[in-house]
Amino acid sequence: MLELEVGLSHYLVLSAALFIVGIMGVLIRKNTIVILMSIELMLNAVNITFVAFSRFLNNMDGQISVFFVMAVAAAEAAIGLAIAVAVFKRFHGINIRFFENLKG
Amino acid sequence: MSLIDITFYILALTTFFAGVAVIAIPNPVYSALCLAITMIGVAGLFFTLEAYFIAGVQLIVYAGAVVIMFVMVLMLFDLKHEKKAFSKGLFSMILKIGSSAVVLASIFSAIYLTISAKPRLEEVNTDAIVAAKGLALQLFTKNVFAFEVIGILLLVVLVGAIALAKGKGGTHA
Amino acid sequence: MGSDLVEVSINTIKMLAIFLMMIQAVPMLVWVERRGSAFIQRRFGPNRVGPLGLFQLLADAVKFIFKENFVPKNAVKFLYLAAPVLALIPAALTFTAIPLSTPVEVASFELFGQSWGPYVFQFRGFEMNIGIIYILGVGSLGVYGLLIAGWASGNKYSLLGAIRASAQMISYELALGLSIVGILMIYGTFDLVELIGSQTGHLQFSFSGKEYHVGFLPNWGIFFQPLGALLFLVSAFAESNRLPFDLPEAEAELVAGFHTEYGGFKMLVFFMGEYGHMMVASALFAIFYLGGYHIPFVSVDSVKEFFLSTEMFGTSTLASLMTALVFHLSLLFKVIFLLWVFVWVRWTLPRFKYDRLMSLGWKTMLPWALVNTIVTALFIYYSKVSG
Repeated sequence: MLELEVGLSHYLVLSAALFIVGIMGVLIRKNTIVILMSIELMLNAVNITFVAFSRFLNNMDGQISVFFVMAVAAAEAAIGLAIAVAVFKRFHGINIRFFENLKG
Repeated sequence: MSLIDITFYILALTTFFAGVAVIAIPNPVYSALCLAITMIGVAGLFFTLEAYFIAGVQLIVYAGAVVIMFVMVLMLFDLKHEKKAFSKGLFSMILKIGSSAVVLASIFSAIYLTISAKPRLEEVNTDAIVAAKGLALQLFTKNVFAFEVIGILLLVVLVGAIALAKGKGGTHA
Repeated sequence: MGSDLVEVSINTIKMLAIFLMMIQAVPMLVWVERRGSAFIQRRFGPNRVGPLGLFQLLADAVKFIFKENFVPKNAVKFLYLAAPVLALIPAALTFTAIPLSTPVEVASFELFGQSWGPYVFQFRGFEMNIGIIYILGVGSLGVYGLLIAGWASGNKYSLLGAIRASAQMISYELALGLSIVGILMIYGTFDLVELIGSQTGHLQFSFSGKEYHVGFLPNWGIFFQPLGALLFLVSAFAESNRLPFDLPEAEAELVAGFHTEYGGFKMLVFFMGEYGHMMVASALFAIFYLGGYHIPFVSVDSVKEFFLSTEMFGTSTLASLMTALVFHLSLLFKVIFLLWVFVWVRWTLPRFKYDRLMSLGWKTMLPWALVNTIVTALFIYYSKVSG
């Protein structure tokens, strides 16, 4: 585990650490846009895993998945920001607690 | 340690600490800038993994995405009054950090237990053009259905985002 | 890697030389721009310092360097100082990936009682066979410099300019990316050298099984992709924030846009970034549509044979070097012409209104780029189907 020569496990450890950073961001921040950024961080961490496995198993499927993850991430960011704008217009702020008003 | 290993360590540290900075800095403008550094670092990591095409796409897609976030932050915040950036409550904070640490520890142990024999970087075909052609072939033969679905998803998102953001009383109303 | 001392040191020198080439070209371009503007407006322009005012740029540089280095009160100091550099770096990085001429082949030679093997030095910063993706990716980072400059200055005009810049650059990046898809499909490569290599000779193409030859025209991309070339040129103007698309620094509305608060050497660094973007855009246009460094109807081998037959450059190394220089001059000629087009257009077309700019980008350029892509795809399909 502590070998200096870079192998698959190094990429996986980095990816896991970044993913957890993203989770923490979603949990502890109150600003909707920063939460969206944390989600982007998590998706990027997953992308690192995909590409690392693709490289070390010599299989292209991982890189294909990265394409789809990027497309979905773009879609998610677009909708998220649109909702942020809508919430901002309603409450003049985009604190995450304003979403409580979405309860029916 | 070879040159590529040193590159990896530099990129990994940059990416990780920029990622931590995204969630740790109260000012969202700096969060956005750190996110940009993270994205560039991830693109660099893709370079070290010889996924050149993906690295380029990462730069193109996320550079634009993060710029939009940055602009949104600038437009939607009064930065002088951003005081409460983090959620309140000591107990819940301990709970959140603790549970994250537990998840991290379980992922690390899973990596440690399963990858006993470290796979070496073996010589594979690293010609970027051949790799890009292989990628395109796979994308448009085996995964063409998923590709079409993504196209429809993006169209739906386009319509939805405009419908959500337009509303009454905007600048172009 | 197998690279030895000579190869590593020459490569390092080469990279530095290419970077300095870009920096060096900026004062020349400023001179061309000022004299060119004066020429178009029927006035003299800078003509006092040195012959034709050529030393004006030297005087300007001295003035810029010795100006006071100040930071505005409301500015965020670190980002304010970092922004000009962030604007320069993407331009410099993309410029290094552009092939400037044919490779120089150095035959093996004896030095210090040791033989140094034959080398091939590419006439570019570094080799990268997906150069186009790299250039698009790194080039898209250029917007950060402007955005950070605008925000960190702590000035409303700067901020408005920066937001305009970001919206404009992201919108036109789509058209820029789509406009070159046609040429990529025709030549089937991401490699800039390969792309240039397939634009030699006279114009020839095959359609529905028949070969067509046009003897009097060179085999340039612009004859296959006239619409793509036009779209690429317009997007390049927008990407480098030049008139008629210089809304981010529209002086009538925003004082000077994102660089209102910048002066002295920091301003000069912004200039370097902007001119660097112009140079990269011109070089890319020359490579995609004007045959790159090739001279029409003159092959690389014939030039090399000519130099081999002369007495002065008779050895293969020198002949190769001279050939590279000749073809480099060819690319330079094309790039300088395109840079002149940038100046020319600046004083020919008025500035757009901002909503017109956006509707041009999204409602005109993008659909036409898509049409261009589809027509090219159909053309390629039908030229292959019965051939």
